[in-house]
Amino acid sequence: MRGRRKGRTVVWLRRAGVYLGVAVIVAWTLAPVTWLVISSVTPYNELISDRATHWFPRHPTLANFQVMFDLSSEVGERFVFAIRNSMIVASSVTAICLVAGSLAAYALARLRVRGKKALVLSLMSIRMLPTITLVIPFFVLVSYIDYGFMNIGSSFHLFDTKLVLVTLYTTFILGFVIWIMRGFFLTIPTELEEAARIDGCTRLQVLRHVVLPLSSPGLVATGILSFLLAWDEFLLALIFTRSNNAITLPLFIAELGSQYITAYDQISAAGVMAAIPPVLLALLFQRFIVQGLTSGSVKG
Amino acid sequence: MLLRAHDASERRLAWWLLAPSVALIVLVVIGPLLFALYLSFQDAEPTVGGISMRFVGLANYVHHLVQSDLFWMAVRVTVYFTLVSLGVELILGIAIALVLNERFWGRSVVRAMILLPWAVPTVVNARMWEWIFAGSKFGALNGLMKVLRVFPPTHDQVWLGFDVPFEAVPVLGSLFKWMGVTRALNMIIVADTWKVTPLVAFLVLAGLQTIPSSLYEAATVDGAGFWRKLTHITLPLLKPVLLVILVLRTMELFRVFDIIYIIMQYSIRVLGVLTYEVGMKFLHFGSGAALSFLVALFILGLALVYIRLFYTEDGY
Repeated sequence: MRGRRKGRTVVWLRRAGVYLGVAVIVAWTLAPVTWLVISSVTPYNELISDRATHWFPRHPTLANFQVMFDLSSEVGERFVFAIRNSMIVASSVTAICLVAGSLAAYALARLRVRGKKALVLSLMSIRMLPTITLVIPFFVLVSYIDYGFMNIGSSFHLFDTKLVLVTLYTTFILGFVIWIMRGFFLTIPTELEEAARIDGCTRLQVLRHVVLPLSSPGLVATGILSFLLAWDEFLLALIFTRSNNAITLPLFIAELGSQYITAYDQISAAGVMAAIPPVLLALLFQRFIVQGLTSGSVKG
Repeated sequence: MLLRAHDASERRLAWWLLAPSVALIVLVVIGPLLFALYLSFQDAEPTVGGISMRFVGLANYVHHLVQSDLFWMAVRVTVYFTLVSLGVELILGIAIALVLNERFWGRSVVRAMILLPWAVPTVVNARMWEWIFAGSKFGALNGLMKVLRVFPPTHDQVWLGFDVPFEAVPVLGSLFKWMGVTRALNMIIVADTWKVTPLVAFLVLAGLQTIPSSLYEAATVDGAGFWRKLTHITLPLLKPVLLVILVLRTMELFRVFDIIYIIMQYSIRVLGVLTYEVGMKFLHFGSGAALSFLVALFILGLALVYIRLFYTEDGY
């Protein structure tokens, strides 16, 4: 009797402990973003009041968001270009990575290729390479190329264009995409492909009609992961972009607010907007992403 | 004969499939990498209408390794950042995964929500925490400390400041002393950990779900408590997952640039920031390239250590 009661107390304590842990995790996860969202709807004069007594805006406002879309203001113009550039760059990178990456991944997963092992290993080492190692030669090469075009009187240039960003991002993300997609292709039973081959399909038809449909969760996961990686990139954008022609959202947000006025109202609003696409993607496609991450890194 | 023809066509197809990726990687990674190696032996700087180069042999490497103490200072800061972040991420990640692996009301919602910090872009994360750590009465952390009566109402802590200059502190001696290094670096570790720990927790959670519950039942029958189960079943079986996390995270932490640069500019010189400063701010291309190769070699060395661990521990 006493034993059973003791057991019940232990179970109860354990449940209480779990809920306490969950509460702490939820608070720790949500508090910083909540503060970001609150700050984004607070007018500047309230934002710089004493925090200990003043957490919530008395006069909540959407003015900080309005500024971002006001094309007549300098900040607004730059923001609209930045978000447009980020969208274009991230979706182009995703599209190119998915096509080129899954073809390569299929070859590496299923076909006989000479030096396959070396290829897979070098893909992995590219992932380990610090971006900065490639940034310096890129910068010198891009300047050489642009000088060359200038000298022959052409106005074509690579510096400060979306083209250079897309090329660089694609290459950096490609290794990652090949890695994850290869993992997905390896999980598809070969019997299905063999059956299709016996029915007279060519390799490419097998890829199109059997393998790709079966690996669509993998394609969704890698697509979203590449989009997030491209959306997040900072260092290359910092070096290769200047003007509205190519500046991306991360660079815009890092630049916001000068040394004299730290415009945390605007920074918060821009931050909220820059976080919305990746957060939505992550929450909506959570299951795919986790599957992709685990197959890419755990099984890999 | 037929088989060989079939084999050849398969090889050709494989190369067609690989061609776009390989071409991109050769053009944008291998080529520039070789060029960087060439640059690292030059004294290369921009001049009017081009770039001047002068062969200097190993001078750039010697400069960083021997003549200038900036490199070793950056190594110490980077090692500190990497080790502390890794420790915090692993312990918190495992703890969060263990909690989320339990049954509780609203579990799927909480599990989905925890991916949120991971999805927040690094730049947004950096500026969000910069604002939370604002060293004035506007700062949210200062406000919280006052509400919790940790600080008196008049005290405003400068969170992103320097108590002790990093140069004055030997790394290993102060590794575990919270206040022994610059407070700013520790605060950045908090910010970075907030974003990355959920990912670690997710990977650990995936690993936890592969452990058969019968093992725990058997252990319970044998009278094992929570701690024994953790150290004798959970952690040993999580080892492959933990090793992968260790490899990926060490590399990412060791080459860290954006979050530190955005919050502190050049005030905290981890290796990534120092390389950027030398190569892209002062435009010493050769010197910067040499520095970046030293960073890459460090990471390669770490990778080899880990790969050895993999090979010996798991036999593949």
